Amino acid sequence: MTQKELFNITESWFEQQHWKSFPFQKQSWKAFLQGKHGLLNAPTGSGKTYALWIPIVLYYIKNNPDYQTKHKKGLKAIWITPLRALSQEIKQATERVAEDLNTQLTVGIRTGDTSQKERAAQRRSMPDLLITTPESLQLLLASKGYDKTFKDCSAIIIDEWHELLGTKRGIQIELALSRLKTISKDLRIWGISATIGNLEQAREVLLGHQSEALQNSVLIKANLKKRIKVKSIIPDEMETFPWRGHLGIHLLDEVVPIIRKSKTTLLFTNTRSQCEIWFQKILQRYPEFAGEMAMHHGSINKETRLWVEQAIRNESLKAVVCTSSLDLGVDFAPVETIIQIGGPKGVARFLQRAGRSGHQPGKTSVIYFLPTHAIELIEASALQQAVKHNTVEDRIPYLNSFDVLIQYLTTLAVSDGFYPKDIYHEVKNTFCYQAISEDDWRWILNFITKGSQSLQSYDEYKKVEILEDGLFKVNNRGIAMRHRLQIGTIVSDAVLMVKYLKGGYIGSIEEWFISKLNPGDVFTFAGRNLELVRIKEMKVLVRKSSKKTSKVPSWMGGRLTLTSQMSELLRNELYTASSSQIKNINTQSVELKSLSHIFERQRLESIVPGPDEFLIETFKTREGYHAIFYPFEGRFVHEALGSLLAYRISLLFPISFSIAFNDYGFELLSDQKIDMQQVIDNDLFTKDQMHSDLQKSLNATEMARRKFRDIAVISGMVFTGYPDKMLKTKHLQSSSQLLFDVFRDYETENLLYRQAFTETFEHQLEEGRLQKALERIERQSIVWKSCKKPTPFSFPIITDRFSREKLSSEKLEDRIKKMVALLTKK
Amino acid sequence: MNQTIQIQNQTFILHPTGVMFWEERNMLLIADLHLGKVSHFRKHGSAVPQEAILKNFEQLDTVISFFNPSTICFLGDLFHSYINNEWLLFSDWVSKMNSEILLVVGNHDIISPRKYEELRIKIGSELILDNFLLSHHPEEREGLFNFCGHIHPGVLLGGLGKQRLRLPCFYQKENQLILPAFGEFTGNHTLKPTEKTKIYAITKKEVILVHQ
Repeated sequence: MTQKELFNITESWFEQQHWKSFPFQKQSWKAFLQGKHGLLNAPTGSGKTYALWIPIVLYYIKNNPDYQTKHKKGLKAIWITPLRALSQEIKQATERVAEDLNTQLTVGIRTGDTSQKERAAQRRSMPDLLITTPESLQLLLASKGYDKTFKDCSAIIIDEWHELLGTKRGIQIELALSRLKTISKDLRIWGISATIGNLEQAREVLLGHQSEALQNSVLIKANLKKRIKVKSIIPDEMETFPWRGHLGIHLLDEVVPIIRKSKTTLLFTNTRSQCEIWFQKILQRYPEFAGEMAMHHGSINKETRLWVEQAIRNESLKAVVCTSSLDLGVDFAPVETIIQIGGPKGVARFLQRAGRSGHQPGKTSVIYFLPTHAIELIEASALQQAVKHNTVEDRIPYLNSFDVLIQYLTTLAVSDGFYPKDIYHEVKNTFCYQAISEDDWRWILNFITKGSQSLQSYDEYKKVEILEDGLFKVNNRGIAMRHRLQIGTIVSDAVLMVKYLKGGYIGSIEEWFISKLNPGDVFTFAGRNLELVRIKEMKVLVRKSSKKTSKVPSWMGGRLTLTSQMSELLRNELYTASSSQIKNINTQSVELKSLSHIFERQRLESIVPGPDEFLIETFKTREGYHAIFYPFEGRFVHEALGSLLAYRISLLFPISFSIAFNDYGFELLSDQKIDMQQVIDNDLFTKDQMHSDLQKSLNATEMARRKFRDIAVISGMVFTGYPDKMLKTKHLQSSSQLLFDVFRDYETENLLYRQAFTETFEHQLEEGRLQKALERIERQSIVWKSCKKPTPFSFPIITDRFSREKLSSEKLEDRIKKMVALLTKK
Repeated sequence: MNQTIQIQNQTFILHPTGVMFWEERNMLLIADLHLGKVSHFRKHGSAVPQEAILKNFEQLDTVISFFNPSTICFLGDLFHSYINNEWLLFSDWVSKMNSEILLVVGNHDIISPRKYEELRIKIGSELILDNFLLSHHPEEREGLFNFCGHIHPGVLLGGLGKQRLRLPCFYQKENQLILPAFGEFTGNHTLKPTEKTKIYAITKKEVILVHQ
């Protein structure tokens, strides 16, 4: 069949649906049928599934002219989705095409939710299209004879690639693709991505560094312009607006009319706890919404989530309070209005959320921004600018993540085994491991076979064995089983299932929250008040309670920070309120104007800095001596800068610090007065020696230690098991914390230990951004204000009780003695 | 720097490594050594650095040459799990000892008692000496003062300027003293101070009374 004939088949199908194909869809069909790889940049709800599923079907038709009567068995295509929740929708869309065109092609799903029985059936006979997740794809590579499964696979589609890029799941995809390129001879690799700053790089990461695939590829942009309107919700009574806090409940009454006016409203919150609280509070004050309102976040059980998603489609819900769990995929036409509660911290995320409403082409998407505290109004104003200028962030891919490589090599060893010389070239061609040296490679092979770099006579390390012909293989069944359970790179704290005493799964909760509760305590979860009865195995048993409570679980994961683009926009907004520019008040945004009384109070005690000023404030409270610095660079940069400065000051004299930071600035808190003049005179903000000072400050704080947690789990050094499958892991319980300590004491050259530091530099602290921030500060003049009391700007920072870093240059014994003296004085 | 304390007219020296020396009986008490833990992990595919194994024995040698006890009593969890090659290192170490060695069995001690007897280590579920009860798990018994381990006690200290420190400790109640875990690669469990408890935090150099 010619290409024209093939296209006619689909065009007539499109006509039957009363659809018209978009240019980007046709471009994708064409490129695919030409045998090209590619990246498709298209938003949710644009028909991106048809852009890539249709050519897969056409390719099959082309190769099998008798496709309507004869069905050729075997896996033909893989569709990777980052969220299990999306797989059902992809299945429906793809099945529809397959049936309407009489192809007999079958579609199957394989994720963590797939039953044992179904998996076994799939092993015997694969569907033609397999929809799966990055983890489940790895698991397929861990099963024997996987090369036969993938032999005739002609396409792999990575959906929502922007979500995977910049995560370790993205590396799993890179590695899996490096293998598939070899074993599937006729494979086309395609990614689908929303708009991000580095689309070209996204294509390179997907297809491989300087690879053949990359050369034979295209980048197709849907270019569907969408009009977005941002409206800030500004309270009438600014005087009572809080300076800190993160809930935004005080604006609840302003939200309700918006909900009433629209068909369906999604309220996006930044954390699951915030989601819980909003849901509760709306129902408390407006009970008439009961039955018309629902909640959706990642810890709620699957059935409930699916029900909520269906209910949105059926238009039976007026409002849904949700978290990023509804960011992706699922297409909700009835959604008319989006409300973002609290700063979204990134432009791309904000635009994506805005895009959840007004799906009809040409319609303007409206998103309301609800600030949770006064200073966040500056963020609102910055977002307006971002939307206007279409600024979007990059997603930074990982480099040299040895933990994921170790997991992957063990995976290959668990299934059919591997020969290093073959795999090395595949790995070396990925983006992530383009710079891996032969020394690193040897180190890793030693690590998985000997557990160290030298062989000790009494050692009994057992994992991967080297067989006589040089095949690397796992023969021990226990190790193979533990490894299969461990595959997956999304690491979270130990998670417990929440269940009713009489049965009935409600959701999952992080262990550290439950560990703070006693039986009889009541907490809010999944919109209900629950009494903790007892904890048994990995289950939290509860019963309903009518008692009121203020205990809402918070989830540690998912703290967001301002991206550098947002930080810059934010600074520029703020400068419009600075003392030097305040005369042009007329050009200020509404948001900034509404904050004028706060700026006035700030000016009473201190200043509002302008573009040439770097503000430092010092004051004393009952808690000790505070020094607040305002770079306005986002949380992560402040974390780095705070540790760097604390470290440099600690070299001047013995001192201990507690460091707090938010998106606007950071605080150094100490029990002794900091001589700020000395800090300024010693030029402690210099970028000279930045790297080595930062490295030393990392040794003194906990940042790298926290990064190590994921690394220890992914590389298989800490065994977590699964919450619902309590395995016999007798005597194998250990924390990554302990492990970190042993590495620090005995094996600092270990690549995985060192990776914790590199990752902290590159992904947590964003060293590149820090450098730029220091350069900027060097050009600014330092304004040090010694204040009598906390200023409006300082308030949100000094009241942050969580996520504080510690750094000390005092002798441990001296610190203990001071603490004891303080205790006895009381 | 050690701390010397008196309990029921007997003298005990608390050492920064977490061991306790009973002067009148010339006896050294050591809790929760967890030998073999590193090897156990390695055997199951977790590459914990091997050097930590030797550190345990070095530490043991240091405290023993310091106190030169006639008896060494392990308060349980001497060996972390099933027998592995660290047992050989342990046997070597035992053969060099001139002291009598006792083991009060802990929940981790699942190696056959016969193995210990071969090394001439006396083994039992508890030991009563005068008014003192030596056990692995904390026990409360009328008229007896209890020395035990198992808990791996730690203490959390707070100071001005939101400072916090977490340290292993000796945790002493009215009729009980819980020893810190001696072994490398063992963690701590933070206990809250209550009335009538004395807490001695240990650093690498000192034993410091932080609560009474």
